[in-house]
Amino acid sequence: MQPRRLVALMDLLENSGLWHSSDERQCLSLRAASVDELGLVHTSDYIAAVQRLGTAEGHNENALAEQYGFAEGDTPALPGMHEVSAGIAGGTLVALSAVMGLPEGGIFNSENERPLHVFHPAGGLHHAWAEQASGFCVYNDAAVAIAHVLRATEAKVVYIDFDAHHGDGVQRAFYDDPRVMTVSLHETGRYLFPGTGDVLELGKGSGRGYSVNVPLEPFTEDDSYIEAMNSLLPPLVMSFAPGVIISQHGCDTHAWDPLTHLELTMRGIQAQIQLAHQLAHSYCHGRWVALGGGGYDLYRVVPRAWGMLWAEMSEQLLPEQLPQEWVTHWRPAWQASEEQEEAAQQALGKAPTSPYFPLMFQDRAEDFPAQPRRWTITHTNRRTVALVRHLVVPPPVRHAFPSTQRQSPLADMYGLLHLQGSQTPSRTETLETPAGQLLLRDFCPPSLVERLRADSGLHAFARIPEREHQLLLSIAKSPDCALTLAHTHSGEIVGQVTLAPGSDWWEGFENVYEVTIEVSSQWRGLGIARHLLAFALELDALDDMILFAMGLSWHWDTEGLHISIPRYRKLIAQLFASEGFEEYATTEPDISMEPGNILLVRIGKRVDQYTARRFLNRLQEEPRYRPN
Amino acid sequence: MIVSEVMTTTLVTVTPDDTLSHAANLLRQYQFHHLPVVRASPTQRTWVTEQQTQKSKAVLEGLLTSQDIDMAAAIGTQSAGDVLQRPWQERHVAEVMHSASITVTPTTSVAAAAQILVERGLNCLPVVEYDDAESREQNAEGEPPAVLVGLLTRSDILMAMARALGAFQPGMQLRISLPAGDMTPLANLLLLAAELHIKVQSLLAAPLEGNLPRIATVRLGTIHPAPLLLRLQEKHIQFTFVDPS
Repeated sequence: MQPRRLVALMDLLENSGLWHSSDERQCLSLRAASVDELGLVHTSDYIAAVQRLGTAEGHNENALAEQYGFAEGDTPALPGMHEVSAGIAGGTLVALSAVMGLPEGGIFNSENERPLHVFHPAGGLHHAWAEQASGFCVYNDAAVAIAHVLRATEAKVVYIDFDAHHGDGVQRAFYDDPRVMTVSLHETGRYLFPGTGDVLELGKGSGRGYSVNVPLEPFTEDDSYIEAMNSLLPPLVMSFAPGVIISQHGCDTHAWDPLTHLELTMRGIQAQIQLAHQLAHSYCHGRWVALGGGGYDLYRVVPRAWGMLWAEMSEQLLPEQLPQEWVTHWRPAWQASEEQEEAAQQALGKAPTSPYFPLMFQDRAEDFPAQPRRWTITHTNRRTVALVRHLVVPPPVRHAFPSTQRQSPLADMYGLLHLQGSQTPSRTETLETPAGQLLLRDFCPPSLVERLRADSGLHAFARIPEREHQLLLSIAKSPDCALTLAHTHSGEIVGQVTLAPGSDWWEGFENVYEVTIEVSSQWRGLGIARHLLAFALELDALDDMILFAMGLSWHWDTEGLHISIPRYRKLIAQLFASEGFEEYATTEPDISMEPGNILLVRIGKRVDQYTARRFLNRLQEEPRYRPN
Repeated sequence: MIVSEVMTTTLVTVTPDDTLSHAANLLRQYQFHHLPVVRASPTQRTWVTEQQTQKSKAVLEGLLTSQDIDMAAAIGTQSAGDVLQRPWQERHVAEVMHSASITVTPTTSVAAAAQILVERGLNCLPVVEYDDAESREQNAEGEPPAVLVGLLTRSDILMAMARALGAFQPGMQLRISLPAGDMTPLANLLLLAAELHIKVQSLLAAPLEGNLPRIATVRLGTIHPAPLLLRLQEKHIQFTFVDPS
């Protein structure tokens, strides 16, 4: 709630010609959120307390303030705070409704006039809890807007939080809801407010797996941040298939921010914005609402970061220079508080920065010297990201979005499996089933996958058959993977088996491969899975390898099959047992999280004893202290 | 900290006459491992209907664990040839439960209870009260009946620890070094926090090795610690807010 920074932002937008307050086509009419709408997220006694504390006579009721988090510190009870906060919540609600085509978003003459993207810089108050104010936030506008969409439509929502602090309020609001995926990239809560946001906060009940947290080390910097973001967000959004993206663009990640230590520059912040925009167009028909959030370097960072956001969103070219008038107007405001901020930065443990007011949208690289422990920090972050990918990204999606850092030491899977040389590039076989004849084919090239389509029941990992097809295509294109398909004569893919190198958890093993299998829901019970698996694993070279398959209960279509999780588990174990796989107990984080999960391993006949023993030891290793 | 502050009080119980299949279903439904076995106190026959809001006066008879049921099921399968033997599902709780001879009272200290749990290798302790004034009835040994008021499990103690560390409220952590166990820096920090209106959510200064605490971990309910950190620097109090770069 620092209106000065928003004034500076509006001034910058006007001055650089990116936006005009008089242009009605670029504004939505705002209204405050009603008590009923706030009640979707907040408890009624909390709303009543906020109203009471905001009035002149209720201002001094200390017991009330104490109970609801206004007593001390960051969020004091201010006169009129209900009206202001409800106004912000209403803004986000209108924004999201407009993008989703709900009546609350306003009436438009035609669909073309309906906005696809909306930016609401006052929003993003992500710390507010259902019954408690916290960290400058009173009403959780993002949660209120999402809850409204959940009530009014069938859409799923992905919430991406780029703020340097963990988005605890939004995560709490939807912790058990599988229709909302919250993803928060933040500085680790080891010391920083609010202290939560560990990787293992994954959601509960049916919402398990839909709360994603990426705690990054202090002093992360641009490169490591961008790497983490790029290897997580695209596969997550792809596998969740949301109807809309709502992103929180707190810019306190910047190196000049006096509250945090992530040490990004405008380059990192621009990468966040561009990725959110791109994801919205790739997976959500362009529907995207961006919110403000944290950002405590009020004049040097906030206006530039959000100016950049608006330019990207409205697809305008960002000017290189900041307008001269704007700089002369706002530089004194910064100078007034400069000394104090400098001292605060040092108290936080950051190196002194150059006292310099920016003249361009982008930062000058020379103002941000490299941090001393860059290598260690980058590696710690990579391990965190590997763990998150492991926990929340389904295996085939993971293979289609390989993490940039890791390449199989043996470049080509085909070459590896055909050491003796082979005449035909891939084997084919026909399979008679009661529902018709199928063709089985291994090492499917991308050209073949392009000609086929996914059967309508093939959606276990990307949720929509077309996207599942895209997924298979990316797997086919990856030289690390071997894709075996079962398809009909008319070109519909009804089943697939993928062989791919084990994820980062199995680092240090050259011949450990992961097997995943999927059969269309319309072709079940015909024995296709068993035949397809046997066909895919027939190759002699596989005896030199350790193969494993992971069954994660949260990916299982137990509802579609009307069977319980233990029964499904047994089915999978039996299916793989027919190919010589055995169940192993493991400390591997994904498997050990739920008793329903299962790890199946086949150690090839020609794998030497030493490797096999090393592999079995790895199964029982402590998850956290794995040597790097 | 005493047991009544951390124990679980909303309990799922069985009676000695319930069948094992009923108990097994309860264990599966709630994902517990322990069921206290109780019978309604004769003087308080109506406890189920009338006392739901008050403490239920249920006399503790014993404890049934999932292990007891597993054992009964295993034995049942072994002697399947015996026609006279009832299937394990039909056996009664009273036949397989074991007596809960080790109990604690609501005023036992949590430290003592934790020690009992670890030393005896238990996972759960029934918490009982002996209110001999109210009920005149005595059991065969002449003791007043033990009224079950709660259950203390290992998870209760872990949750109590997490709460004591302030994990349930949003806040930031600060580590203060206490050279030679001197508490003055900590006292100064608390004064400063009060002056700056920063809420102290939890405070831990326990010796990790040796006898004296060397480090205090303080959890503060603020997103904006810079003013406090500046004052700490002024007073030469050593703190850690971020790992040194």
